[in-house]
Amino acid sequence: MHERAERHSVEKLREYLPAAIVLIAGVALWEAVVFVFSIDFYLLPAPHVIFANLRENYALLLEAGLYTFTEAAAGYALGCGSGMLAAMAASRSPAFADLVLPYAIASASVPIIALAPLAIVWFGVDQGSKIAIVSLMTFFPTFISALRGLLAVPAPAVELMRSCAATPRQIFWKLRLPHSVPYVFTALRACTTLAMIGAVVSEFFGGPVKSLGVYIKSSASLFQTRQAWSAILVTCALGLGFYFAVALAERLAAPWQAERGEI
Amino acid sequence: MTAPVIEAVGVGRIFETRGGPTEALRDLSFGVDGGEFISIIGPSGCGKSTLLRIVGDLVEPSTGSIRVNGKTARQARLDRDYGIVFQAPVLYDWRTVIENVRLPLELAGGSLEERRERPRALLRLVGLEGFRDHYPWQLSGGMQQRVSIARALALHPSILLMDEPFGALDEMTRERLNLELLQVWSETGATALFVTHSIAEAVFLSTRVVVMSPRPGTIDRIVPIDLPRPRLDKVRGEPRFFELVTAVRESLREDPALAAGNAPRAEHARARGAP
Repeated sequence: MHERAERHSVEKLREYLPAAIVLIAGVALWEAVVFVFSIDFYLLPAPHVIFANLRENYALLLEAGLYTFTEAAAGYALGCGSGMLAAMAASRSPAFADLVLPYAIASASVPIIALAPLAIVWFGVDQGSKIAIVSLMTFFPTFISALRGLLAVPAPAVELMRSCAATPRQIFWKLRLPHSVPYVFTALRACTTLAMIGAVVSEFFGGPVKSLGVYIKSSASLFQTRQAWSAILVTCALGLGFYFAVALAERLAAPWQAERGEI
Repeated sequence: MTAPVIEAVGVGRIFETRGGPTEALRDLSFGVDGGEFISIIGPSGCGKSTLLRIVGDLVEPSTGSIRVNGKTARQARLDRDYGIVFQAPVLYDWRTVIENVRLPLELAGGSLEERRERPRALLRLVGLEGFRDHYPWQLSGGMQQRVSIARALALHPSILLMDEPFGALDEMTRERLNLELLQVWSETGATALFVTHSIAEAVFLSTRVVVMSPRPGTIDRIVPIDLPRPRLDKVRGEPRFFELVTAVRESLREDPALAAGNAPRAEHARARGAP
């Protein structure tokens, strides 16, 4: 058993090794290109310059990152949460679900980020407008996926329930809801990215200085590209952390899939 | 003379499809006594599964009626008189083997002790006590179907409905599960209704084999199987087994021949009717 676990972790390492090599090679290539072609640092700063700047501006970037991440996380919780609740309500009537689903799908393909300037008019220049945009961006994908998961239950699975004289409530809690878990998490993972994009891009249209979007935009317009790149790296790190946190939650919530190696 | 456990009178079923109404079953009447093992066999699309679902109140008949244990099929379903095994195992991915077997007990609100002990006993019965904490995908197809049989027995059903449960399995697994099923069935004393494509399987398992005609499905013939019980694997080598298999096969053959004879005539009629 112990040996198996050990072999498992060795295999895991081997799995991640190519990705790590690509990352290191990419950074090295970047560094080399900037050096060989002697590219001006304001056009494309070399990695070591960005890392130096990251260390220097550590405190400010952390504060800005926290501010922006709060917007993303709050909007995500609101949008995904209400998306799931709306899907649960809609699933009670498949006819109603059929009615709203096309509109939900259409809304999901609207670039909601275009509403960001209006959101500032409605909700103010602070976090409220960003949370509103992120909520709206994450609501529809979650709603659609969750509704599909709740309704796309195989017919025999329902027949089994009926043959045991299950109540509609039991069919919901013991069949539809667990069946929807993988569907919901597909949306929840995709929405982490949407949430970060929504928060940062909304800030491009206005916000406090100590937020990632405003910081990236103002430093880029002043040709302070190393500052801009540092903030972009922080955004990436936060986005990745967000994604993996949700993926970890999925492993805990859907152990039957984790063991199959589907997550 | 006791009343039959299942009694069908003039059962028919018409499905509305895009191409217009399709008659799946026409005017079926039959009775099944308590403790019988009835196999239903017939060509593809003859409505065997529909008939099983009508008995189990999963599909409503368009005409006729079904009485089960002296009640309507609906009442029998609500009283949890049925245990159902489908063609696919229909195990819930998110439940372990023992949790799947426990599901009917949870739905029926069984006592905590029953919920703990009954699934264990059932898994012992189907020889899977060592796999109780596995997830369904970790089991072979044959093992999954055994879990599904254990689950069907959870509430001590008086009627077992099985819709080609071994259809997707290889011949060797199927024959082994046939034996196991007979053993389980004789221990429970339930009345079994078993849909199958396999003539040998139908003869090996049943007290009677119901042979159905092509669509619209009607009962062509009922072949009583007088092989002695308990039936062990060696029954499959006995002359009487072959005779019965041949009898069922011939009743099945009569119909396609009839249909083949009818088809050109129908063509002619249409050709003549055309301007």
